[in-house]
Amino acid sequence: MEVTLLVQAAEDAFKIIENARGQAVDLLNTAAKLTAETRSVEERKITALLRGAEKTRSGIQNFIATFIMLFAFWALLSAKFDTFHLTLGVICSALVATIGHSLIFANVRVGDIRVIVQRFLAYVPWHVYQIILANFHVAYLALSPSMPIDPELMRYRTKLESDISWVTLANSITLTPGTITIDIEEGEFVVHALSKKLADDLNTGEMEDRIAHVFMEADHIYIQDVLDVARIFAALK
Amino acid sequence: MIIQSEDIIIKTIARILVPFIQLYALYVIMHGHYSPGGGFQGGVILGASMVLLYITHGYSEVRSVLTENMAILFSSIGVLIYSGVGLLCLILLGNYLDYSKLSTILHVDPAHARSLGILGVEIGVGLAVMAVMFSIFFDISTGGEDPDEEKKKK
Repeated sequence: MEVTLLVQAAEDAFKIIENARGQAVDLLNTAAKLTAETRSVEERKITALLRGAEKTRSGIQNFIATFIMLFAFWALLSAKFDTFHLTLGVICSALVATIGHSLIFANVRVGDIRVIVQRFLAYVPWHVYQIILANFHVAYLALSPSMPIDPELMRYRTKLESDISWVTLANSITLTPGTITIDIEEGEFVVHALSKKLADDLNTGEMEDRIAHVFMEADHIYIQDVLDVARIFAALK
Repeated sequence: MIIQSEDIIIKTIARILVPFIQLYALYVIMHGHYSPGGGFQGGVILGASMVLLYITHGYSEVRSVLTENMAILFSSIGVLIYSGVGLLCLILLGNYLDYSKLSTILHVDPAHARSLGILGVEIGVGLAVMAVMFSIFFDISTGGEDPDEEKKKK
């Protein structure tokens, strides 16, 4: 009797475990579906990134992108839209793009120029807002009689990877009143901050995260998510 | 001998700005007869863009665009374009650099021919000035030695 009860109890326990496992698998499936729906765009970017790691961007693509940028610049400068001047513009832009197409687009990953431009344009207003806030703070420091400044030199490693994002971060820090990037030493930023509050604002890393988002360098997180889910699935099966 | 800069900020910004500086120089050359500027000014800006590339990225990056021998050649070609347009006017029974005589070749009215003729001269002057500017800077920075020859010796 007791043995059968024990066996039954064991079977019940197994059933519960099976159910729980089934539910977990269902949950993970729905989670995967949800991520597939919400992150389909991101996943396409990930595949582009993974493919981009394998093959470099072709010279023709670089040439065309550079040519379009330069021709827009020419139209902005010239403001003469008759055939003769437009022809001159096409010739000059093609000439400069032939010389310099490898300069502008060095170290850029494949197939994401438009996304970077969109995100960068979205980043600019936020940064202007930060500049205004920091302006008020520095004005308060300068106008208060006790002058509560606490200058310090900070060193911190950045998680950004490409040189263009380093330069963007360095210039963003310098443009914000009260903080100045002194030097970049192989990924280590040396920053002078005027007060504790400014240093803390910088240490939260929000600016860095946003720039990582702009230049699509936070995507390894998504890749990591996919890998984690795959590992859990394999363990369950 | 100039060693290339190690500062990532300077290198990156220079890399992105150089094509736009070059295009601006060409704009100054091409619009010299409507607005301030012209062959000499545009040529100086072009030469400056080359110098900027040289001092930020070293000779290896510039060599694919402009070597010292090419600079000497370009300066000669620029002077040749300038004097060639002038001589062409002389051959067509006009004065030296009298562009209105070019209308018979270009099949346009004399006023338009003057505009095109001065444009040709500006291009020649711009090319010559750019090459000479770069050449002067090159001679000063290398101390008269040719980096290409040094590599051959090694």
